[in-house]
Amino acid sequence: MNKYVINFPQEIVENPILSETILETGVLLNILRAKVDYNEGTIVVSIMGDEETQKKVVDLLRKKGVVVNKLKKSIVNEEEKCVSCGACIAVCPAGAISFTKDKDIVVEKEKCHRCGVCVEACPRRSLSIQQFE
Amino acid sequence: MKTIEEINEKIRRGEAVVVRADEMPDIYEENPKKAAVDVDIVTTGTFGMMCSSGAFLNFGHSDPPIKMNRVWLNDVEAYAGIAAVDAYIGATQLSEEKGFEYGGGHVIEDLVSGKEVYLRAEAYGTDCYPRKKAETSITLKDVNQAMLFNPRNAYQRYNAATNSSDTILRTYMGTLLSNKRNVNFAGTGEINPLSNDPEYRTIGFGTRIFLAGAQGYVTGEGTQHNPKTGFGNISVKGNLKEMSEEYLKGATVPGYGTSLFVGLGVPIPILDEDMARRTAVRNRDIHVRILDYGVQRRDRPLVKEVTYEELFSGKVDLGGKTVRSSPLSSMKISVKIMKELAGWIEDKKFFLTAPLEPLPKDTVVKVMKPRRDVPFVEDVMTKKVITAQSTDALSKVSELIISHGIDQIPVVDREGRLEGIVTAWDLTKALATNKKKLQDIMTKKVITSRKGEYIDAVARRLGKHQINSTPIVDSEGLLIGIVTSSDVNKYLERR
Ligand code: SF4
Ligand code: SF4
Repeated sequence: MNKYVINFPQEIVENPILSETILETGVLLNILRAKVDYNEGTIVVSIMGDEETQKKVVDLLRKKGVVVNKLKKSIVNEEEKCVSCGACIAVCPAGAISFTKDKDIVVEKEKCHRCGVCVEACPRRSLSIQQFE
Repeated sequence: MKTIEEINEKIRRGEAVVVRADEMPDIYEENPKKAAVDVDIVTTGTFGMMCSSGAFLNFGHSDPPIKMNRVWLNDVEAYAGIAAVDAYIGATQLSEEKGFEYGGGHVIEDLVSGKEVYLRAEAYGTDCYPRKKAETSITLKDVNQAMLFNPRNAYQRYNAATNSSDTILRTYMGTLLSNKRNVNFAGTGEINPLSNDPEYRTIGFGTRIFLAGAQGYVTGEGTQHNPKTGFGNISVKGNLKEMSEEYLKGATVPGYGTSLFVGLGVPIPILDEDMARRTAVRNRDIHVRILDYGVQRRDRPLVKEVTYEELFSGKVDLGGKTVRSSPLSSMKISVKIMKELAGWIEDKKFFLTAPLEPLPKDTVVKVMKPRRDVPFVEDVMTKKVITAQSTDALSKVSELIISHGIDQIPVVDREGRLEGIVTAWDLTKALATNKKKLQDIMTKKVITSRKGEYIDAVARRLGKHQINSTPIVDSEGLLIGIVTSSDVNKYLERR
């Protein structure tokens, strides 16, 4: 299972694309978030099944004229909240967090495997795992 | 030799030489005598979570008036057992609704940032104060006085923490991974205020300081001030209305509670060569003991003694293993405090005061002795443990469980080292799933305990992991006993 964000252009916003896709592929989609108005729509779905099944669904959706992108998760530090205390550094199993020369905090997103240990350990609640397009 | 008055005169003339505590060691090393003459003031700083912090607030009188006997600010109770509309909001008091995520420290941060805070008060009503309930929103501007008064701040030194136990611990020293996989440490080392004047020659009652962006004062020794072991600290006071949100930040210590990050800086006058030498202290000169928080006792065992230099390097060697170390205080903001304080002095906005009374150097810290002593694991554990070996037949193990009327059996190797634990439930499940080997059905990650631990710590562990017993092992991993929840309950009932 993976999460995807689907963008509908104006022309087809009224077509029942999702239902059609479910019927045609027999693969279940879960709608997690939707924002649709007369002009355009953005829907976040999770597509069940393995990579191959997911690809089938994505290909079909694209054929129907919508833009589909996989959602990526990433660790984010809200700098206004962070006090650069360092409580998140040594607990990170990936060694993804460190100080800069000026004692600011940097999180290397590529190294992070999103275990969430730092999120829990941060006294300022400034770290979170967020999803991106 | 210089006096504080002479230094203040230099400040007035704009001639005072101010350096930061991290710059002083090199200046001193180059020429100690010259450093003592040239440098007038060394600024120090710290920014860390200081639980013993809070603020006295006076809300003003309503009509009809109320004598509050309980009061909440954003759902966090403040102590109202003083005059009618006075209260003390403490940093560690938790929100009744949000728990660990919001507490007194956050209320103080919100006040200082100018936010509205919701006040709710209750009273029993008197002839002179008839009102029984009050609800309103307040801001820092609305209250009459707001005094930050912290009974214990800025310890001279700290211990560092690691955790030898097999479960992750959430402590006031931050998150401690199992099996000594990280080290957390507090304090700012060579720039820490009291480390730069360890004999308390210039710090005491009446010393003017930088307190959270305002000019505050030392009000004497702090609680648990322990000068003989080098654990001195100060109590401080300042006007919350003049402070800056940058230096007062609410904190959530996971699994522990809430606190308040406090920014504090002390100017150290360089009166003579002795003070120059004191302020030239380096991270490598300050020793820190790493203690084992895996042992839940007041006196925690020493794991290793290191220096701040090692701790700040981010890596510490613990028994041949390189372990990452993290600070819990912000060096970035501490350095900023030293600079800001130096700037105030250079701008002739801040003058030094000589302490009216020095910090005491001979107080000792007493401990609390609860009426009934809490027993240790070794007092309640069963020493003769029924054990099995991983090669034993399941039928034999089942028989042991039935004949001894027990629920679980620790599995040991030939030397008696703990390998796992198997419960009656595991055996039933094995029957259903047709598993034959003890090795395949036993739990290998066993929650163990040590004999020197308090029974309360074990009770907490059993509850946390929802297990019925915990094998007791020694430092070699040899099984030496077992404590079951009924052993624990027997003791708890007696209490
Ligand atoms: S623990 Fe939180 S506040 Fe502290 S440095 Fe890390 S992200 Fe910043
Ligand atoms: S989520 Fe885990 S891996 Fe990622 S930065 Fe935080 S602690 Fe490190």
